[in-house]
Amino acid sequence: MGPYLLRRLAAIVPVLAVVVTVVFLLIHLIPGDPVSVMLGPDATPSQIEATRKGLGLDRPIYEQLIGFYARILRGDLGQSYFLDRPVSQALWERAEPTLVLMLSALVVAVAIGVPSGTIAAAHRGSAWDRGLMLVSLLGVCIPGFWLSLNFIYFFAVRLGWLPAAGYVSVFTDPVGAVRYMVLPAFSLGFNQSALIARISRSCMLEVLQQDYIRTARAKGLSHRAVTWVHAFRNALVPVVTVIGITTAVLIGGAVVTEIVFNIPGLGRLIISAILRRDYPVVQGVVLVTATAYVLINLGVDLLYAIIDPRIRYD
Amino acid sequence: MARSVPVPKVLVAVVAVLLVAVGAALAADAPRKGGVLRVGNLGEPPALDAHWTTASITETLTNHIYEGLYSLDSGNRPTPMLAEGVTVSKDGLVYTFKLRQGVKFHNGKEMTSEDVVASLARWGRQAVPGKALFAQVAEFKGLDKYTVELRLKDKSAIVLISLAVPNNFGAIYPKEIAEKFPPEQKVTEYIGTGPFKLAEWKPDQYIRMVRFDEYKSRNEKPNGYGGGKTAYVDEIRWVPVPEVATRVAQVETGELDFADDLNLDAYDRLKKNPNARAIVSKPYYWLVAVMNKKEGLMTNQKLRQAWQAAIDIEPIMKNVAGGKTEFYRMDSSLAPVEVAAWHTKLAGLPWNEHNKDKAKRLLQEAGYKREPIRFMTTQEYKWMYDFALLTKQQLEDVGFNIDLQVVDWATLVKRRNNPKEYDAFTTGMGAFYDPTHHIYLTAGWPGWTTDEDILRLQAELARETDPRKRMALWEQQTRQFYEKVPVIRYGDLFGLRAARNTVKGFNEKTERVRFYNVWLEK
Repeated sequence: MGPYLLRRLAAIVPVLAVVVTVVFLLIHLIPGDPVSVMLGPDATPSQIEATRKGLGLDRPIYEQLIGFYARILRGDLGQSYFLDRPVSQALWERAEPTLVLMLSALVVAVAIGVPSGTIAAAHRGSAWDRGLMLVSLLGVCIPGFWLSLNFIYFFAVRLGWLPAAGYVSVFTDPVGAVRYMVLPAFSLGFNQSALIARISRSCMLEVLQQDYIRTARAKGLSHRAVTWVHAFRNALVPVVTVIGITTAVLIGGAVVTEIVFNIPGLGRLIISAILRRDYPVVQGVVLVTATAYVLINLGVDLLYAIIDPRIRYD
Repeated sequence: MARSVPVPKVLVAVVAVLLVAVGAALAADAPRKGGVLRVGNLGEPPALDAHWTTASITETLTNHIYEGLYSLDSGNRPTPMLAEGVTVSKDGLVYTFKLRQGVKFHNGKEMTSEDVVASLARWGRQAVPGKALFAQVAEFKGLDKYTVELRLKDKSAIVLISLAVPNNFGAIYPKEIAEKFPPEQKVTEYIGTGPFKLAEWKPDQYIRMVRFDEYKSRNEKPNGYGGGKTAYVDEIRWVPVPEVATRVAQVETGELDFADDLNLDAYDRLKKNPNARAIVSKPYYWLVAVMNKKEGLMTNQKLRQAWQAAIDIEPIMKNVAGGKTEFYRMDSSLAPVEVAAWHTKLAGLPWNEHNKDKAKRLLQEAGYKREPIRFMTTQEYKWMYDFALLTKQQLEDVGFNIDLQVVDWATLVKRRNNPKEYDAFTTGMGAFYDPTHHIYLTAGWPGWTTDEDILRLQAELARETDPRKRMALWEQQTRQFYEKVPVIRYGDLFGLRAARNTVKGFNEKTERVRFYNVWLEK
């Protein structure tokens, strides 16, 4: 396991290097620049040029790229043009809301998806099976932003049960934090639960047809014991893969949810940064997100070995 | 002995009840201090340095923290703010401003002439109206602690109005701050003389401004952006809420007390809400298509005239306003009705002619061979995209070939500075408070208006100080505008705001929001 882990960790570096280089070039090559946005619509071309020079944006792109690499190797993600603070500080301030949203949505997705898929498989062909799969189909088809806006309309505006938008830190007000996170977590989690439910059902159906399951039934074990004790764990490996992918997808999927629910997280930050052409922030968020994505995949692979002792890495 | 007539007890009781009711009603209307006013806006300001950027969100926020020598009254005319007043020499070249005394900055320091000189010198090197004014200034200095003197190179009509405009305005900072930050660098220490001071700024989360208890208000009644200002609320919390549907929802639920820049679709819903009210904001923008007169197809005046002749503006405006007549106004004047001093009602202007035959004839005279005309717009402002789409349809009906290019706002703002990249672009013009501020009539702004007659008239307007003569020049300029067509003028679009019914005292007549003189009813 040790050498495998080291090899995987070493492989992260070239992956990240390619990702940040591609993003650097893309963001610099698309039209628009941060200065025009910052100085406002009535700024004159000469003002814009003077400010661009002050920010070093008049240098050739290869010079800017080399400067960027040099800073990254020193652990310096640069200074946000718009926010007047180091990018690392901007990312740190916004990490908590995104992580909380991601984890909450993941809990919702797994809590809905895994039991749904398992129950559907255990009652194959029944009304339960058909009903749960219909709900999961809706989860796949309904656009996240539409669901979010309708949640706000019904639960916040019409019923007044929950706030429409915003974020409260769990360290400041745990009860408030939960209230503000319910709608975003359900709206984001519901979409993701659909895939988890369908994969869980497929995996469970495959396992339930195995010989040892037939033997367990023949020995007189209850339906519940057969499903949850003997079949469930063996169906888990592919499900864990999907949960891992879901976690990574949630990093990106959180963007729309953060904007609709006005959560000051990394997703909202990157959208604002792209619209404002705040290059250092875009690069910083992509670097952090790509790193997280790669580490989550590694974590999922390691989890296989824990769930299934037959899996070994050299 | 005369008998007294007893007053019926019932009558006494009725009068007493009426008195109590009237008293309660009057008390309910009386301003009260306290509370946190939560305001939802479109996004994050790029800076809280009034000199540095023309962004309208910065204008709104900084006008709560800072003040200038002058402001605008309800008629959009200059009115003294930090100045007591001005004396102008007989030759019109020397302006002597007496400053109000005892005005404190948020750091406790008294504002004096050295602060004014340092601040306006910085403003004159960076801000758009500042540079325009200071190009005419020979010298600007303090004469004593409360007097500053501005000497012009030549007579100018724009001194007071330039000092009064609220966007990119001549905010007065402490001298130390004005000198510490060069003009091209944003100020990051926010000390002003305004009724609110900055308490906390968490980017993309909120900006908190709290009442400045030592604020020295003018004694007059509130008058437009000027006059007396009272900070009734303890705090204004500005919350950036980029998603417009969420801003509307948060006013409906009471999570926000006020929201600006709302989509017009929300109007009917807000009108039905018993706890909130919809506010039509005017002026907002007048819609224009700016022509590239430096390079390309639209350097041809006949082509521009053909575009102007072809369009039927009313259906475009009605569509952009979501079918709601409350949200648009048909007007050919280059200054909106609300800027009464410069609003014109000229007959015979070739505006909204929707004359297809004339347009086709002009196309022929222009020698147009159906080359694609690159018309740039953006969906980030839905109204820009809507009017561009409808314009394209109308123009193609008469023989234009329009290549509609939809880009994001940052790209549009960048590309419009390069004459090779477009032929026309959409934008909206806000209210200009003086003819010389009409930026689309200058050679340096995208579109590059270099017509000799237009520039000559602008120069005359800058020099002429007699109001009647200026108005005559402005009317001439308006006719020049419609003949030379530097931009295509559509109609006036209005905006939508929403306020909870607990928000009192809000002035609905100003172009941008102001929350001094506003209080929260409990």
